[in-house]
Amino acid sequence: MTATGTVFDIGYQSYSGAREGRMRALTAVYKDGVRIALGLGRGPRAKALPWFFIAVLSMIGLVMAIIAGAANTLGGDGTAEKMSLPTHSDYYGIASMILFVFASIVGPELLCRDRREGTISLYLVRPLTGADYVAGRWLSFLSVLLLATWLPQTILFLGLCGGSPEPLKYFQSHWLDIPKFLAAGLVLSAFLTTIALLVASFTTRRAYAAVFLVGLFLITTPFTVGVAQGMQGTLAQWLSMFALSNIPLHISDMIFAKPSELTENNHARELGRNVLILWYLAWITVMGAVIWFRYRRLTP
Amino acid sequence: MSHNGDALITATNLTKKYKDVTALDNVSFNISDGITGILGENGAGKSTAIKIFLGLIPPTSGTATVLGENVSENVNARSRVGYMPEHDCLPTQVSASEFLTHMAELSGLPPRAARTRAADTLRHTGLFEERYRAIGGYSTGMKQRVKLGQALVHDPAFVFLDEPTAGLDPVGREEMLDLVRKTHRDFGISVLFSSHLMSDVERTCDRIIVLHGGHVAESGEVGQFIRETETVFIEVDTNRDELVKTLERRGVAVTPQGSGLTIQGTEKIYDEVRDAVVEANAALRRMTPQRRALTELFEKEHA
Repeated sequence: MTATGTVFDIGYQSYSGAREGRMRALTAVYKDGVRIALGLGRGPRAKALPWFFIAVLSMIGLVMAIIAGAANTLGGDGTAEKMSLPTHSDYYGIASMILFVFASIVGPELLCRDRREGTISLYLVRPLTGADYVAGRWLSFLSVLLLATWLPQTILFLGLCGGSPEPLKYFQSHWLDIPKFLAAGLVLSAFLTTIALLVASFTTRRAYAAVFLVGLFLITTPFTVGVAQGMQGTLAQWLSMFALSNIPLHISDMIFAKPSELTENNHARELGRNVLILWYLAWITVMGAVIWFRYRRLTP
Repeated sequence: MSHNGDALITATNLTKKYKDVTALDNVSFNISDGITGILGENGAGKSTAIKIFLGLIPPTSGTATVLGENVSENVNARSRVGYMPEHDCLPTQVSASEFLTHMAELSGLPPRAARTRAADTLRHTGLFEERYRAIGGYSTGMKQRVKLGQALVHDPAFVFLDEPTAGLDPVGREEMLDLVRKTHRDFGISVLFSSHLMSDVERTCDRIIVLHGGHVAESGEVGQFIRETETVFIEVDTNRDELVKTLERRGVAVTPQGSGLTIQGTEKIYDEVRDAVVEANAALRRMTPQRRALTELFEKEHA
């Protein structure tokens, strides 16, 4: 006996389910932003860069953990600390340049492509404002950068815990490192996200934005620090405040109560904690306001 | 066009000025259920009107409502509106399936419903087999279908189609026009169809609005504009001269037009023509009432 079946064309079905409006749209922009930044649902080329950077950053954390673990195993508990081997407070200083390059190359993709391909015109006729769109993109890249900053620190912490002769004792005495590296990672990621999207909001070409950003990070820090080194006083302090890569690192230093190698000789530290915090917040606020202003009235 | 109570779209004393240029000048019209064509030369105000209805730009004065809502004040109202732009707007790296799912979610649909709607819409627009291919590898016709699909994926009540046949070959154009007709006939979605191509509007729309210099120059049912004129066009294979003489003898005014003859008169003339053809022993190939094309309307506005 042969089985038979019938295919019914039920025709067009109207949608009568929930319409969740603006919040759903904002969530969709966020999800899409994460997928773009990580290359999910796209070809291998789109995945290569973000995952390469995340792998390199994680490797740094892993290598730091292995070295500290080996020192503790060979020399006894606490040897790594006695030898001043790099740990959580040093990680952001060590990895900052890679994070800056990561943000410079990957970040602009979230804004540039939509404008270059004209897709932005489809977003703005949905239940969404220009400010919602840019807020969703900002949050999505912030999430990706948090992954890139927190994952290696988590690997490092777990490595240090596991490498210690007494893991539980290590955890009890060092658990406060967790909120510290989370907070410092957030400070660094928020700064990098905002500056990357600010530059991206001025061009439709990701490559131009990436080159400009890398140049900005690579040039401003050696230039301002170099010029300020030969000077003294307030001018030197304020000049070194313009070393872009150091702006979030000063806050990171405060969180860990220990300067990183990149910032310990920086004149800007002489201006005091409050000035450094206000300076960081001013940069975030002004850059965020410029992005918001550019997308507030954007029409296709 | 319609009574205000039936209107899905309403423009009331709508004016839009860009510095020294007035794109829309105190325009009022209503658009009701069906397919409405909006015609006009470049700069007539078509795109400006669509952008105001979509809430992308504010009017200088007057009000524009879509489905009873001012979409620039209430962005959630856009979840019942679709828009297919004329220009390129598709991401090249993602598949049509992923793109339409994303667009449905952007319109407020929950993720599971968005996926189902995307698959259904791709089936209805004839892209189901190709749905997992990256859009960058699609032909122009397929890209136009994706553009239409993203405008329909959230099942809007009203959709704005800006030049949907632009760049298509004759076969692709015919298929797209068929999809536009299906959008209203089968899907129940009302359409505002903006086009420069008179024949597309003539064959697809129920009503038209002609904009000229920021004003509504004409509006009404398409049939009203392409109504049968008081002219009959006939073509014969043999005895054409004899037929002309016979018709003139019967008091019918005849004008040669190309290979055929144009005869002045209303439907009453049909019997007279038939008898004349028999009397002249002419082999009749074609006899058809002549229609006034929308092109003439446009030419009139230009004049």
